[in-house]
Amino acid sequence: MTVGSKVKQTLASLKGIKSTLEVYALQTQDDETSGIYRDSLNIINEVMDDLEKRVQTLEFEEPQYRGL
Amino acid sequence: MKDWLIILLRSISLFFLTLAVIRIIGKRQPSRMNPFNFANYMVIAVIAALISVNVINLVFGLIALAVWVITPIALDYLAVKSKWVHDLINGKPTILIKDGKVMEENLIQVRYTGEELLRELRSKNAFNLADVEFAIMETTGDISVLMKSAKKPVTPYDLGRKVSPQPEPETVILDGNILNEPLANLGLNQDWLKVQLENMGVSPDNVFIGQVDGSGNLYIDLFDDALQVPIPKVKELIYANLEKCQADLIAFALDTKDPQMKEIYVNDANKIGKVKGKLEPYLLR
Repeated sequence: MTVGSKVKQTLASLKGIKSTLEVYALQTQDDETSGIYRDSLNIINEVMDDLEKRVQTLEFEEPQYRGL
Repeated sequence: MKDWLIILLRSISLFFLTLAVIRIIGKRQPSRMNPFNFANYMVIAVIAALISVNVINLVFGLIALAVWVITPIALDYLAVKSKWVHDLINGKPTILIKDGKVMEENLIQVRYTGEELLRELRSKNAFNLADVEFAIMETTGDISVLMKSAKKPVTPYDLGRKVSPQPEPETVILDGNILNEPLANLGLNQDWLKVQLENMGVSPDNVFIGQVDGSGNLYIDLFDDALQVPIPKVKELIYANLEKCQADLIAFALDTKDPQMKEIYVNDANKIGKVKGKLEPYLLR
């Protein structure tokens, strides 16, 4: 596996976590809990942005591994 | 009119009258009543019985019944308004053990022997007198026991652990019927429930009890106990995935040659670690 595809894999699992957490943030009745879910979502978003940028760089460096 | 007819009619009407009266007086459980409440109920019961078998005159009986019903209601009302009246009617709780020492005078006052005190303490799981910090006899005759702080059950607070608030679960399926009101309380609807059941591979009429907890997980008990139902483990899974992502990020940081990128990876791994710590009480407990 290339570095690029590994990073993409991590990015995908982060996306999965994010979507499930979003569901929990919406489902929970407690304001504090939903606030904590939201904070976590923001941080995960930051990490995802970094990884997305990294994927772009890697694809630029190794165009043969572009795409899925 | 014949005697038996009179007794029949009186009994039937008094049956419902007594039922109504007991409902009006209140919801007190027999075990929570103080001795006076108990005597009061007894008097009402006896008067009702005497009227119904025609031992006492109907009018006299009803007057007596009215007094024994209205006075306690009035006193209860006054007791809510005034502490003095409340103490007069209900009495005050008596301290039996204070600072770990038995108050012998108070014990005599409530006519309790040491044996009986120990029995009551045992029933509260205090087998050792040395473990008891404080014990008080409530006005109902119950004994409430406060254990020494070292002997109290451990709570998450004692362990310095944060736990997520767990709202009460709502029962959404009972006997195969979907209950709409509890579902609406959670902000969910029948479609959501049907999707969840479909995911589990279960039809709604096979479900005996279905409960949704505060975080929206569905737990079901089936009529057919041979069927294995998956227990929701989504939260544990998210936590494990977060751990995996953190490990991945650290691996990337080790792999990359670019120092700037390395720093970003380490930073991100730390961020995920922080999220993990934040979510742990909610996902795992």
